Amino acid sequence: MTSHLPSVTITGIGSVSPHGPLAGLIPLSPLEPTAISAWATPGPRRAFLVPPFRPADVVPGVKTRRLDRLSVWALIASALAIKDAEIDLSQVDRSRVAVVFATAFGCVELTEAFYLSAAANGWNGTDPITFPETLASAPTSHVAMFHSLRGPNITVSNKYFSGESAMIQAAGLLRHGQADLAIVLAGDALARTLYSWYEEADLLSPACYNLDRTPEADGFIPSEGVAALVMESSACGDVHSKAHSEARSRTRSYARMSSGRWAAGGQPAEIIGRMLGGSDPRLIICSGNGAPCANSPTAGLAREIVGEGAIVIPAQSFAQGLAGTGALFHLILGLSSMPSSKPGSSSASGQALLLGTARDNGFAAMLLELP
Amino acid sequence: MTDPYKTIVVTGVGVVSPYGIGLDCLQTGMLSGKCCLERTKDEVYPGFEGTIAQVRSLPPLAGYSSPQYSRTDQLAVMAAQNAMASSGCERSALLDGGIVMASTLGGLTEIDTSIAKDPAAWYRRPGGLLRAASYPFAHVADAMGEHFGIRGPRCAISVACASGAMAIALAANMLLDEAAPIVLAGGCDPLCPFTLSGFNSLQALDPNPCSPFDQNRKGTNLGEGSAVLILETLAGATARNANVLAVLRGWAMTNDAFHPTAPQKEGSGLVDCIRLCMGMAEVSVDDVGYVNAHGTGTPLNDSAEAQAYETAFRGRKLPIPVSSTKSYFGHCLGAAGALEAAITIMAIRSGALIPTLRLTHPIESPGVDWLRGEVKRPPLPLAMSASSGFGGSNTVLIFESGLS
Repeated sequence: MTSHLPSVTITGIGSVSPHGPLAGLIPLSPLEPTAISAWATPGPRRAFLVPPFRPADVVPGVKTRRLDRLSVWALIASALAIKDAEIDLSQVDRSRVAVVFATAFGCVELTEAFYLSAAANGWNGTDPITFPETLASAPTSHVAMFHSLRGPNITVSNKYFSGESAMIQAAGLLRHGQADLAIVLAGDALARTLYSWYEEADLLSPACYNLDRTPEADGFIPSEGVAALVMESSACGDVHSKAHSEARSRTRSYARMSSGRWAAGGQPAEIIGRMLGGSDPRLIICSGNGAPCANSPTAGLAREIVGEGAIVIPAQSFAQGLAGTGALFHLILGLSSMPSSKPGSSSASGQALLLGTARDNGFAAMLLELP
Repeated sequence: MTDPYKTIVVTGVGVVSPYGIGLDCLQTGMLSGKCCLERTKDEVYPGFEGTIAQVRSLPPLAGYSSPQYSRTDQLAVMAAQNAMASSGCERSALLDGGIVMASTLGGLTEIDTSIAKDPAAWYRRPGGLLRAASYPFAHVADAMGEHFGIRGPRCAISVACASGAMAIALAANMLLDEAAPIVLAGGCDPLCPFTLSGFNSLQALDPNPCSPFDQNRKGTNLGEGSAVLILETLAGATARNANVLAVLRGWAMTNDAFHPTAPQKEGSGLVDCIRLCMGMAEVSVDDVGYVNAHGTGTPLNDSAEAQAYETAFRGRKLPIPVSSTKSYFGHCLGAAGALEAAITIMAIRSGALIPTLRLTHPIESPGVDWLRGEVKRPPLPLAMSASSGFGGSNTVLIFESGLS
C-alpha cells in the first residue's frame, strides 16, 4: 500500500471482550483471567473469557439461536461499531459496504460439536443446521445478513497478522472504489479443543493454572473476543466514494490510516522506513506476540525505525492472548491508553505506528494519523 | 491506453485436478469429454455411498511427510510448483512475492472425531500436535511460503465456495496497492469426511454424476484439487520478460445478504457482481464470449444463477454461452473458483468452449446459450468466471486473451 493513495478513516469502534460488549474505546481497568467452567478441566484453568450476556439486550432484535459464539460476537461487535460511528444504515448504499473478518480458528465451538455428532451418530448422522455454521466465513456472512450489507464479504487469516491483514485489505477495497465503508472485524473464541492444544503444546502461562500469578507472568494466556472497526473512505475519485465521503464529512475520527504493510520476512526496518517516507511517528502501539513489549523484538524494531525518543505503548496481555487476531484490540487498547483518549483532543494527536513482529521475522506496520 | 502498472496479467497457471497435475492434462481430459466423477462406497468415510472425483495419484512432495503438512497443504504446494514450472518462473522472482490462498477446510483432513471426545489424548498421539498445527486455514499460505521461501505479504481466505476466485481478486488488489511485485493466488481443498458429511446432511448431493443447469438436476458432487495463478502487473511481467497468458480485465465481489446456505432467488447479488466486474473491465454485455458458471447442480443455485445471467446479460445481441465444468470433476469447494479461473483462461487461449455434461433438458432461459454436446470454438477474446458460495458471497473475474 503506497502513501500516495488517499487515507481511510476509522470512525467507529465496537467490541465483545472480557470487558463485555462495548461501543467505542475500552475503559482501562485491570483485567484478570477467569476460571474456565464451560468444559471440564483436570484442575483450575484460567483464560481471558467473554462474560455471558444476552445478545438481544445489547442489540435489540438480533437472533443468535444455534450460531457459534464467534458469529454472535461478530454480529454484536459490528452493530456496536456502526452505532459508535453514528451511521444510519438506511441512509447508506449497502451494496457499497464491505465486511472483512479475520479469524485464526473460525467457528471452533460448532466444529467441535459437529465432530461430536459424527462420533455419536456416524458421519451419515451429522446435523445439517450445524454444518454451515462451522464455516470460518459464517460470522462474516451473518454480519452481512443482519445489516443487509451487499458489498465484498471476506474472511481472512494469517498466522500472526490476521487483524492487520484485514485492515490493510479493507483499506484497499475503499481506496480502489470497491466499497465506501468497511466493517473490519477480528477475533476468535476459545473452545475445549483449542485450550487443550495450547496446554499440550506447553504454551500456557503459569497464570493460567495459578490464581496467585498475575497476567504479567511469562507465557501465553489465551483469550477470546471480537473487535470491530468502521473504516470509511476519504474522498476518492470514484463517484460513489465522493458522495459517501461528502455525506459523512462531519464524522468524527479515531484515526486515519495512511499506509500499511505486512510481510512474512525481508528487512522490516527497511520496508517500514520506505513506507513511512518522511513521516516520523513518535508513538508506537505494539501488536506483537509473546514477551512484554519493552523488551520485545517489536520494541527493538520500533527503536531502529524511529529512534529512542518514541513513546511505546506495550501490547496488553488480553490482546496478546488472541494470537494473530489481536491487532484490532491492540489498536483500540492503545488508543484507549493514550494520555487523553477522547477523540479529537490535542494530547492524542500526531502520528502513531501500529507495529507487530513475529518469531520468524514477519512483521506488520500501519501508519495512523491521530486527529 | 493501457497503464502497465495497473494492468494485472496472469503469467503462470498451475493445476492439480482429478485429471492429474497440470493444465495440459486437464485440457486434454475435458476436451475429450472424460468425466472424472465416480460412484464410490465407503471411500471417504464408512457408510458414504455416492459420487465423487478424487485426485488419485498425488506424488510425494519433498519435505512433506511431516504430519504438520495436511493434504490441503500438499495440494496447494503442488499447484504452485506446477504454476512455476509451466511458466518458467524462477523462485528468485517470487522472493518478495505475496501469497493469497483459499481453503474452506485447512487441516480438517488430518483430524478425526475422537478429538472432540478427548482432545488431550488426541494431541498426545504421535504427531498429534503437529497435525493440529495444520488446522488453521492460514496454514495453507504458510506452507506454500515456507516451501518456496517466499517472504512477502501472506494470507489465506475462506469464503466458502467463492474462495478460490476471491483469492485471485484480492491478489489483484494487492498488486494495485504495490504490496508485492508478484502474487501466487488460488485455492485448494481435498475431499474429507467433514465436508462430505455436511453436504450429505444438507441433502445437497446427487448420488449420481451431477447435471448442472438441467431441469432434472438433483444436487452436486464433491471433488478435490487446487489451482494457483501467478499474477503480476504488466510492468512487472514485461520487466522480467515473462510470457503473458491472460489479462485479468476485471474482478468484483458482492454478497447476497440473504441466507446462510441458499442464494437470493433471482440471483441479485450475482447480477450486481457481474455488472460491477464488467464496469471495471470496461466491457459491454456483447463483449463477453463465455461464462464459466458456478453451476453446482443444486436446484436452488442453478435456478438463481440462470436468472442472474438472464438479467445481467439482458440486451445482448446473442444468448450468452454458459457452461458448468463441475459436471466433469465435481465441486472442489475452496479450489473451485481458482480451478474455474484456470479453465476460463484455458478457454480463451485455446478458443474451445467446454460444454456441460449430461445437460439434456436445460433450464428455460432464452438469454442463455447452454453449452452442451460438442465443444464449440468461436472467437473468444473475453471470458468470465463466476463463483458463489454459502453465506451469499459472489466473485466474478473477467479474463482477456491478450493485450487490447
